[in-house]
Amino acid sequence: MTTTPAPEPEAAPAAVELHGITKRFPGVVANHDIDITVRRGTVHAIVGENGAGKSTLMKILYGMQRPDEGTITVDGTPVQLTSPAEAIKRGIGMVHQHFMLADNLTVLENVVLGAERLHGIGAKARARITELSDQYGLGVKPDRLMEELGVGDRQRVEILKVLYRGAHILILDEPTTVLVPQEVDELFGNLRLLKREGLTVIFISHKLDEVLSVADTITVIRRGTTVGTVEPAETTARQLAALMVGGELPVPGLRDTVAGERVMLRLEEVRSLSPDGRPVVDGVSLDIRAGEIVGIAGVEGNGQAELIETIMGMRPIASGAVLLDSVPITSWHTRRIREAGVGYIPEDRHRHGLLLESPLWENRILGHQTERPNARGPFVDIRGARADTQRIVDAYDVRTPGIDVEINALSGGNQQKLIVGREMSGEPKVLIAAHPTRGVDVGAQSAIWDHLRAARARGLAVLLISADLDELIGMSDTLHVILRGRIVGTADPHTVTPEQLGSAMTGAGLDPDAAAGPAPDAPDEGEDAT
Amino acid sequence: MTKLASVAMAGALVMAAAACGGGEGGGTEGGGDGAARVGLAYDIGGRGDRSFNDAAYRGLEQVAEELDLEVQDLAAEADETDADKVARLQLMAEEGYNPIIAVGFAYSGAVAQVAAEYPDVQFAIVDDEANDLPNLTNLVFAEEQASFLAGAAAALATEEDHIGFVGGVENPLIQKFEAGYVAGAQHINPDIQIDIAYITQPPDFTGFTDPARGQAAAQGQYDAGADVVYHAAGASGNGVIDAAVANEQLVIGVDSDQYLTADPEEQPYILTSAVKLVDTAVFEFVQGAVNGTAEGGTVRFDLANEGVGYSRSNTELIGEYEEQLDELQQQIIDGEIEVPTEP
Amino acid sequence: MNDRLSPRVRDRLSSLGLLAAALAASAVIAGAITSAVLLATGVDPGYAFAEMFSYGFRPNSVVAIINQGTTYYIAAIAVAIGFKMKLFNIGVDGQYRLAALLGAAVGGAWVLPPVIHQVVIILVAVMVGGFWAGIAGYLKVARGISEVISTIMLNSIATGITAYLLTEDRLAVQVQGSNNIGTRPIAESGWVPGIPAGFLGANNEIYGLVLLAAAVGVGYWLLVNRTRYGFDLRATGQSATAAAASGVEVKRMVVYSMVISGMVAGLIGMPQLLGASHHYALDFPVGLGFTGIAIALLGRNHPVGIVFAALLWAFLEQSSLALTIHDIPREIVVITQAAIVLTVVVVYEVVHRIGRRMQQQRVGAQLGTAEVA
Repeated sequence: MTTTPAPEPEAAPAAVELHGITKRFPGVVANHDIDITVRRGTVHAIVGENGAGKSTLMKILYGMQRPDEGTITVDGTPVQLTSPAEAIKRGIGMVHQHFMLADNLTVLENVVLGAERLHGIGAKARARITELSDQYGLGVKPDRLMEELGVGDRQRVEILKVLYRGAHILILDEPTTVLVPQEVDELFGNLRLLKREGLTVIFISHKLDEVLSVADTITVIRRGTTVGTVEPAETTARQLAALMVGGELPVPGLRDTVAGERVMLRLEEVRSLSPDGRPVVDGVSLDIRAGEIVGIAGVEGNGQAELIETIMGMRPIASGAVLLDSVPITSWHTRRIREAGVGYIPEDRHRHGLLLESPLWENRILGHQTERPNARGPFVDIRGARADTQRIVDAYDVRTPGIDVEINALSGGNQQKLIVGREMSGEPKVLIAAHPTRGVDVGAQSAIWDHLRAARARGLAVLLISADLDELIGMSDTLHVILRGRIVGTADPHTVTPEQLGSAMTGAGLDPDAAAGPAPDAPDEGEDAT
Repeated sequence: MTKLASVAMAGALVMAAAACGGGEGGGTEGGGDGAARVGLAYDIGGRGDRSFNDAAYRGLEQVAEELDLEVQDLAAEADETDADKVARLQLMAEEGYNPIIAVGFAYSGAVAQVAAEYPDVQFAIVDDEANDLPNLTNLVFAEEQASFLAGAAAALATEEDHIGFVGGVENPLIQKFEAGYVAGAQHINPDIQIDIAYITQPPDFTGFTDPARGQAAAQGQYDAGADVVYHAAGASGNGVIDAAVANEQLVIGVDSDQYLTADPEEQPYILTSAVKLVDTAVFEFVQGAVNGTAEGGTVRFDLANEGVGYSRSNTELIGEYEEQLDELQQQIIDGEIEVPTEP
Repeated sequence: MNDRLSPRVRDRLSSLGLLAAALAASAVIAGAITSAVLLATGVDPGYAFAEMFSYGFRPNSVVAIINQGTTYYIAAIAVAIGFKMKLFNIGVDGQYRLAALLGAAVGGAWVLPPVIHQVVIILVAVMVGGFWAGIAGYLKVARGISEVISTIMLNSIATGITAYLLTEDRLAVQVQGSNNIGTRPIAESGWVPGIPAGFLGANNEIYGLVLLAAAVGVGYWLLVNRTRYGFDLRATGQSATAAAASGVEVKRMVVYSMVISGMVAGLIGMPQLLGASHHYALDFPVGLGFTGIAIALLGRNHPVGIVFAALLWAFLEQSSLALTIHDIPREIVVITQAAIVLTVVVVYEVVHRIGRRMQQQRVGAQLGTAEVA
């Protein structure tokens, strides 16, 4: 505290106060109407799904981006954070998820690098580092070589770096992703000590159990805005999960079963390995019939993305088989799979779904380069593609001034509508839809649901992956839960609740009841997820 | 947008016009009073290669000083096609340069075309005799004859009966040096051991400009037991001389008399040089052209007309062999010895 | 129809306008830099430019510019094919040299009827260029070796192979009356006659293969903009991940693109070989592949843009001759060339961003605030 350059009034206003923060980017969900109050001397967690807007918020707080609207108040003083340097001056420091340390330098050198003016680079700096380390129990030895240190130690050096620069408000961005459980415990010990010494910690995460164990206050962000602030004592992981994925959204109803008997897509014991030989998809078997939507629920990173890439031929399959309408397509290339009638709405549309710097009509061609109306023989049929793009724009209500604008210029929802329209073209047999409504506004979301429903009614088989449990429950005819690359349970979407599903996703039971089908209203709510 | 573009275009045109207008009063220096202006077009590398092109430039300097003529030299680029060479020669012809000298066989095709287009301009080409035009003089050299004498000198001076040769680039020109050298050495001592090394192969011409590799090549030969090394390697030859000094062994220079350009501490190791008087050839051609006596066809510079030869500057070393070498020289001039041009 | 086309035309025009503005701006900047250097060396820039212009537009100069530009154009197209896919084919240089050598050797060894003779030579060159570039493509996909590294190495190897083959025991003969050695001269049936340029008032001839360059340009445009293959190529260049997800086999595309780039590279030496020298000798031009990189950058990989870039480049080199005549260092032109390339790259990027922002504003204005909820 003694280091803090900014004067600290003892009246103790909130350390950080955000009001009405709004940030717009062309085409993506950013932040709007963010309201957060972080009390001094607390650990304040900000949780939300990937893509909910946490990182933008963090960048705004750290001066890397400026909000379009709203105010930021630090220690009771309204501030304009124009750069990280400005943020540091205000006492805000950031510990990045990926460490920014030079391996071949010592701890001391890493800490003083870029902050040589504060205490020089010699004995004074060393004394200061030792002092800080002792004060906050970080146990950092200034003369160790960085490459000798483990991950936990490195993270403490990062924290020390920030403290050394005079920060009294620390932002930790997903700090536990790189740590093993024991290291997580140590980190939490450090955070409690920091808190006791009067520092403020803003802790960004999507791991609910960690947040519950370390935070004093939790703010949940969904779809770019704050949806609630709770005390850990008054909440459970399930309630938090419901807040995160949106329990109160209108349910995308879909009840009457139209599923036929014909299995359009069958996975048999599909396995896929990561480059280091770990199974990331581990023996997945499932059937999707014509007119059926099969949902996969799971915490992100449990093999959903890899499962889809394996089906689409983008990732080698280690063992098992994929059958499309009874035809084995296991060894087919992506193009052949797509030509055979598999539509694909990728999880990350910017990486896998669009050519951002190309006009709409060229994006209509993408993924369907060999099919009519986009191609004629070896040539691109520009006229046909343009006409069909116009059709999609009209039918799917893509809001655009024309089909010649770069798709970059459209909002995320309109981009997604074009993708959905594209993938529904040409009467596909199977649609692989990953997060089809992520990052799109509410209007576009229900439009996309309508289109999915209509296609299902026509006999389309859909594999749906989503982080939005309401979407999954509302849209799916069958619901599987995936955990560490395995299908660990099957739930009946007619009866399951988001809370039950959230619990199953973390591996805490439910399956026996839900898989049976009949409504298990209140299964054991006892223990939290691991 | 189109408006912006047209404005920009208009701006560019105005700039261009202004640039043209600005130059109107500039004028050029000298010339114009009927005095001859001499043009010289280099091969790749141009001035500063310490070899061929530089020798030509020395001739040009001599022209400027002694004949008091305006001179101009233009260099070539590696990536140019014949079109550029033609354009270069045409430019000089159009600008009133006469005579015009092209250095190097690369100009062979271009000079033939341009000489035909400008029959009133006198042209010369160094190191090429592929063309036969009334206003084109081919200046060629009997490098093998000078090298023969260098080889003989090496064979006379060696104590180990083991000598070496370092060529810059293994092309036909340098092979002429090698052929003459070997013939000369074997003429003195048929059993002599001769090590041959080339620094690079065409089309890699860096062998003429890489002293470090020249030194390495010569060092190898000295290590193998040679005690005289002859180099025909342009600027790389400086490395050969360095190796000779380091090993306190003898070296033979090339093109110009390298004893005269060497440092005093290097001089004791320079036995002689096989001299090729490109500068003299250039100077004499210009003189002839100015006097109106230049003729088409080939002018061969050899021992007989002292266009090539060996240097006698290092009297201490070469003195004792001079008599023998002069005798050989006469035999070559008289045609009693025929020197091969290919190894 | 009209409603649909007009925005398209308008977009086209606006992007062309921005491109022209970028070029004009960079010309002004490069001119200013050159002028500053000239002034610093004590030369009146107006005088220097005037000399360059007056010489550069003489009829014979124009012909020389067209001839040089022809070669540059093909070189730049070869590079641009790689660029379209974010492949840096630095090996164009080695590819065309090897292609020209072997093409010349085959052309000199056989005497064939006209047309067939030329076609055979060109085909050999195309195949050799494609093969040589394909090695780099294969190494990239099979072994993960950056094409930048492998093509640089392959350039050196090409030099070595040329040295090996261009000796009298193998492909070469001594050129009559010269210290030069080259492949056996191609019989007249294999020459491509020049186009008389009397209409320009010049007595030099334009390389007949200027038509080949034009065909290469048209073919390049067709390939990139009108074929499925070209779409895959551009998609891969824009986003390899999106291309892969769309079904493009990126590895195969890498190999194909390198091969096609090398095949075009094989043509680079043809105007000189079939139109002027008729043999591959020690004085065959080298380094054209590197010039092609700069010109492709300058022309923004666009078939028409590269025409202007190649002619501009050739003009600068040609007109720089006028500078040396007046004792102004010719290297000044190198500064101009470098400045133009740099400023074009920078200015184009700036203009591109402005254009995108304008488009986004237009979209926003047209759709109201239909942004994120």
